[in-house]
Amino acid sequence: MTDTAIIDCNANLGNWPFRRTGYNTPDALLERLARVDIDRAWVTLLDAVMLKNVGAANPWLAEMVAGYEQLMPVGSVNPTWPAWERDLAECVDLGFRGVRVNPNYHGWTLADPIFGELLAAAGEAGMFVEVALHMTDERHHHPLVMVPPVAVDGLLDACAAHPNVAIVLANVKNAPASQLARDADGELPGNLYFELSHFESVGGVQALAGELGVERILFGTHAPYYYPESSVLKVFEECDFSEPELAAITHQNAERLLASLQAGGSQP
Amino acid sequence: MIEPGAIDCHIHPTAAQGGPPAACADELLPFADRMGIALMGTSLGPTFWRRPTREQITADNDFNAELIARHPDRFFGYANLNPNDLRFSLDEIERRVADGPFVGLKLWVAMCCDHPNVDAICERAAELGAPILQHTFFRAGGNLPGESSPDDLAALAARQREVTFIAAHAGLNWERGIRAVLGQPNILVDTCGFDPELGYTEMAVAWLGAERVVYGSDATGRSFASQLAKVYGADIDDDAKALILHGNMRRVLDL
Repeated sequence: MTDTAIIDCNANLGNWPFRRTGYNTPDALLERLARVDIDRAWVTLLDAVMLKNVGAANPWLAEMVAGYEQLMPVGSVNPTWPAWERDLAECVDLGFRGVRVNPNYHGWTLADPIFGELLAAAGEAGMFVEVALHMTDERHHHPLVMVPPVAVDGLLDACAAHPNVAIVLANVKNAPASQLARDADGELPGNLYFELSHFESVGGVQALAGELGVERILFGTHAPYYYPESSVLKVFEECDFSEPELAAITHQNAERLLASLQAGGSQP
Repeated sequence: MIEPGAIDCHIHPTAAQGGPPAACADELLPFADRMGIALMGTSLGPTFWRRPTREQITADNDFNAELIARHPDRFFGYANLNPNDLRFSLDEIERRVADGPFVGLKLWVAMCCDHPNVDAICERAAELGAPILQHTFFRAGGNLPGESSPDDLAALAARQREVTFIAAHAGLNWERGIRAVLGQPNILVDTCGFDPELGYTEMAVAWLGAERVVYGSDATGRSFASQLAKVYGADIDDDAKALILHGNMRRVLDL
């Protein structure tokens, strides 16, 4: 489909409790992504979201991806639990470059002081922090597990307070992305990135890239929960990006983010 | 990956907000061209009204009529109705469908479709051979007032066997929605208006058969691309994909 190298910054392994997903082992995921010319992916473990002891997911994920250099594990942390710092430290020991948080599933908000504490600790450890705003469409959640999306209130303040920590919004839809652009009045912080799997509307990726800045957009698929063709078609077929823009979105931004990570704080 | 000739059974004229139909078409068609969309079924209007007045219905249908008049090779229309106003709905069917250029009817959330008023609409639709695009949700926490579920549509379709229905969104909660319409062969499901969740099209084809699945996008709120991914990315054979992308709608529209 394309000669452009693609890094999928939002793929998943493991199981989601409310749907049987295929392609959720390393081999199967890589085979599925290869169909659309993706050969590298950042992966989280879906099971982590609903585990009570979220930290238990991290050695589990490390074991799953061992030997798969194409897969970069992203750990999971619930900072409302005691000794979450130990989970973060374990992620460092396991060689992870970043951690994901699911504030809506774990009962906190981005305006809570705990987010700042997590960012400070992640910065010290040289890790990026990924915030998943959704996991699945709230309109068809299980009736006993209806979880609203993460509000982005407080996020810009957190970015400003921790300018050397790269923050990735994953599963972010058009409305909160545009809200942040408006709230920032054209001056979005340099440490904030947006993963595009949930961008919608006709030509929506290009419109949002215009609002947010191409340099902040990370290619992601949310596979295997989503068809990975969705993001590929949105970016390569429906939009009309230039080759430099495609290179930035599909891999250069992700590579720059990773290159910026260093103990004591990244340098976005 | 893109194959030309797709028929998108479900869009809304929401491009170029605030502009006339010509501007809407000018903004939308380049994207459709890039995505291989040959023909689009348009309904509702630039603004969505849950319980539209006669004036709003008229304005919406006028807007789409002009869109179709300007590009008859690219758009077909479903006349927007509010079944609570049955007299006006039946008159609008005569004005828009019997006299053209609309070929079908769109029912959104003004009234649950399992209601006698909708039967009266269906009886005229059957005479005209007009398919009905019916919004269907199984919404977490309960449907909106007037919003139809696939269960409601299945009950209607069992009474109105001469009408072809498209269950828009397959109920959103599609694992349940596909089951709900299983027993009514005059119901097709579309692919539109929900996230590109892997497995949808495979289940729809396995349970209903490829002949009962049609591509739709819900553009412009949704992208053509994210919804096409449900077809291009599905683990189904090429013949099934061709039916979903255009073959089934050609049958429904008698093209």
